[in-house]
Amino acid sequence: MNALPRFELFTLGDGEKAIEVVEDTKIPNAATIRVAKQDHTLANMIRGYLLKNPKVLFAGYKVPHPLEPHFILKIQTDGTATPVEVLQEVCTTLLTLVAKIEGKFKEQFQQKELEVGLEEPYGAPGGRLPRGDYTEPRRANAMDYLDF
Amino acid sequence: MEEPTLRIRELQKDRVDFVMSGVDLAFANSLRRVIMADVATVAIDMVEIEVNTTVLVDEFLSHRLGMIPLTSTNCEEGMRYKRDCPCLGFCRYCAIVYEIDVRCTEGEMNVTSEHLTMIPPDQWDHDEEASAAEDILAKRGKNFGVPAGPATDPDPQRKPISLVRLRKGQALKARCIARKGIAKEHAKWSPCSAVGFEYDPHNKLRHTSYWFETDEKAEWPLSKNAIEEAPPGDVFDFTAVPEQFYFDVETTGSLNPQEVCMRVRLPVPACAWKLTMQCRVWQSCKISLLR
Repeated sequence: MNALPRFELFTLGDGEKAIEVVEDTKIPNAATIRVAKQDHTLANMIRGYLLKNPKVLFAGYKVPHPLEPHFILKIQTDGTATPVEVLQEVCTTLLTLVAKIEGKFKEQFQQKELEVGLEEPYGAPGGRLPRGDYTEPRRANAMDYLDF
Repeated sequence: MEEPTLRIRELQKDRVDFVMSGVDLAFANSLRRVIMADVATVAIDMVEIEVNTTVLVDEFLSHRLGMIPLTSTNCEEGMRYKRDCPCLGFCRYCAIVYEIDVRCTEGEMNVTSEHLTMIPPDQWDHDEEASAAEDILAKRGKNFGVPAGPATDPDPQRKPISLVRLRKGQALKARCIARKGIAKEHAKWSPCSAVGFEYDPHNKLRHTSYWFETDEKAEWPLSKNAIEEAPPGDVFDFTAVPEQFYFDVETTGSLNPQEVCMRVRLPVPACAWKLTMQCRVWQSCKISLLR
């Protein structure tokens, strides 16, 4: 009855900042970034691609407490770019990567659909069901086995 | 940057097996986590029990009702989260109402997901706000909200999901409200029953050490993914990193399209939706960084 709403684990609260950057005063070119309402899914991915960047000297993350839905990311660069700039760069890289993979999925599924359509021309028992209630539009040039 | 590649090895109405390369282990693992826990579906979230003289307690039945996979084609656009909906209780844009009313009059009977009947929104007994959001409903796929089972699958072998068995005189009557959600909140919203994930089937990278009784090779047979990669040489390459990732995604049926020809396209929304959602997360990160 007095439990917190379950969605508080992944939705930002009122006035809560999605991301906070604290510049490190003792280490040069370093920053600590607190990302709210995100978990290992985003954190580990960002960390992995930060480490691939030659400008980055150190990158690591931690989830301070498993019941508190935020993570802390520490970045130190070699001075040619600020940690925030490097993070932005990595985010852009990841965005393009995601877009590329999405395209690959579409391509592969369309190809597979064509293959499966050839393998079992009569479909499952119960006959062919109507198309058209699917999110992705059917390709205009795709030929169906019943299109004569 | 290295170009990512993707190859679908097997595709069935409820599962897809694919190989991904050109990405980091961290990225592949994030994709796995996203597929499991961040794709929105519909599931029963509230149960109001009126009569329950079955052998199972109310909580037990409520849990079972929640676990029923409900067809959620294009749930991402076709429904609102409760927290985003301006209505006070529930409305046609953020909820689906079901009723289950079963009484056993003779012998024994099974109560299954087939006994769950969807109540059309105009028969709900509550005040609904008149908002112009009809286009949300139009985006829903066919059979939206119908429990995955014989009603949504042309396969004659397909059986409905059992809930409880009744003896003569026992009855169950309840009203259930289904909501949109993601599996981070509760696993019942997960579109997957299992996600297989493997890399380095030969253990070339020595990320693991096998415990064995007498013979390591005999006790640890190679997985089916081992044919995709060359067996290890004599020299251990300590600079090697994981390169190929083998996924095997099995869905519960909630995001399984009913159509014969569509079933092969099933996991596109499962994977692509959340990928675009993650994009939004990254964009919001970027925006707040720029401020």
